[in-house]
Amino acid sequence: MQTLISHSERDYILRGVESNLRADGRGRLDYRQVTFETGVISQCSGSARCRLGEGTDVLVGVKVEIGQIEFDGAEEVVGSKKAKWGRVVCNVECSPIASRQFAGRGAEDYNNELTQIMELIFNGPQAGIDLEKLCIVPGDKCWVVYVDALVLDYAGNILDTIFLTTRAALYNTRVPKTVVQEVEGMMEIEVLDDVQEAERIVGWEQIPIAVTLNKIGSRHVIDATPLEELATEAKLLVSVNKRGKICGIQKSGEGSIEPSLLNEMIQKILEALDVRLQQEEEVLANSSRGGAEVGQINIQKLGFFAAT
Amino acid sequence: MSRQELLNPGGLRIDGRRATELRKIKCKPSVLRQADGSAYIEQGNTKCLAAVYGPREPRLKSQIIHDKANINVELSYAPFSTSERKRRAKTDKRILEIASAVKQTFEPVILANLFPRSQIDIYLQILQFDGGTVQICINAATMALIDAGVPMRDYVCACTAGCFDKQPVLDLNNTEESSDSPELTVAILPRSGKVTLLQMESRLHVEKFESVMNLATEGCKAIYKILDKSIRDNMKDATSNMI
Repeated sequence: MQTLISHSERDYILRGVESNLRADGRGRLDYRQVTFETGVISQCSGSARCRLGEGTDVLVGVKVEIGQIEFDGAEEVVGSKKAKWGRVVCNVECSPIASRQFAGRGAEDYNNELTQIMELIFNGPQAGIDLEKLCIVPGDKCWVVYVDALVLDYAGNILDTIFLTTRAALYNTRVPKTVVQEVEGMMEIEVLDDVQEAERIVGWEQIPIAVTLNKIGSRHVIDATPLEELATEAKLLVSVNKRGKICGIQKSGEGSIEPSLLNEMIQKILEALDVRLQQEEEVLANSSRGGAEVGQINIQKLGFFAAT
Repeated sequence: MSRQELLNPGGLRIDGRRATELRKIKCKPSVLRQADGSAYIEQGNTKCLAAVYGPREPRLKSQIIHDKANINVELSYAPFSTSERKRRAKTDKRILEIASAVKQTFEPVILANLFPRSQIDIYLQILQFDGGTVQICINAATMALIDAGVPMRDYVCACTAGCFDKQPVLDLNNTEESSDSPELTVAILPRSGKVTLLQMESRLHVEKFESVMNLATEGCKAIYKILDKSIRDNMKDATSNMI
């Protein structure tokens, strides 16, 4: 179902962005408050929930399961490398409880689009995860990391929130230890139940996060609200890891971006991301001690939906 | 797999409950921003989120009913909700069946004739699964409907009960459900005591039925008290903020 925006509303947003004052009082490059919670789903290997301001709510569940290594169809050089790699599988679902525009089959295309962007950035060495460490028996068995994101409430800027939450969920993930034994030519895998022995995913520090820049008029804003998203001509998503390296870029939306503006936009995103990554890291590092707050990011033990 | 002892000699179940004990319930209405009404409920390790939209204009012309509102129920499981990861299609027969059971439960309770030619959507999302889907869906939907201000005759409260050997037991979890014991799901209107849903998919001796049914009804009444308290508390908070 297409949502519409009136001319006067679009004009209001446009002028607000022009004068660096948005409807909720933020400047062009200001974020909303972010609240994290990790380890919310006990059946997952790792999980995190993130709430943006009073709106967007994303739940990410990570499950690690033993699966088959996939290297068919690749060239020999690539194939021999892939035979030693584990896999990451991403999936995004916008639940109809989040917004009326996700009802029925309305969310299907959008789900696919979001899943594709996630796959683009997480399925490969650019994700930072040490895929070789996920391999159990080369050429046969590996750990498959299933990342499932569920959008529970919608108030704009879903994609950035998904990336932020995914990083926290992967930080929270523990992969069980395995012992491989060769019995009569067959490889036998034993998964150790001991929770103490389970390890964090190697290379999680380098997992990238992303920021979307929305071009409204000749200016651009981050962390857009639903109305601002409707007034957006073009979106640019840039994903960066801790070393400051770009891991993926995706332009979406109907409008176009001038080449001169493009570099400026990427620079802005890099600056914003640097701060963001540091804040998230500090907050997560303090998460074991209960609550923590760094900049616009805080972590809280809400108890799921603060239910009592 | 060896058969697990569902009820040990001391009268305790696998998760340490007594035979007639409910799982711990946590619930809260008004948890989402976009929805007209919403609720979150947790019964033991089963967690469910419900949202209600409407009464509003139907999305499809074919869904219009000229003398009352059309009630639409959609249920989905999060891929990570079960112990093994599984993506279930929205057209999964089992899911459609449960959704239709929830719809039928609420049809006589919602005053749908007040809203002709409109639609009330109830969306249910299971976040974590440990047995008792139908009962948690009904309980969550009741809270969300009340939160949305949809006129109803009464609450609808649901509960399951089973029977191990000769002992009736209340509120089965997933392990108990998957054993061969019978499982009866009952939904009642707590004030009048009328039954709006009754489901059982296995054999149960007719002599045992009454005691199991009575236990389930008691369970429903206990759940009613918990839901009612949560809704009243939430309402008090809302009104105290108004002054």
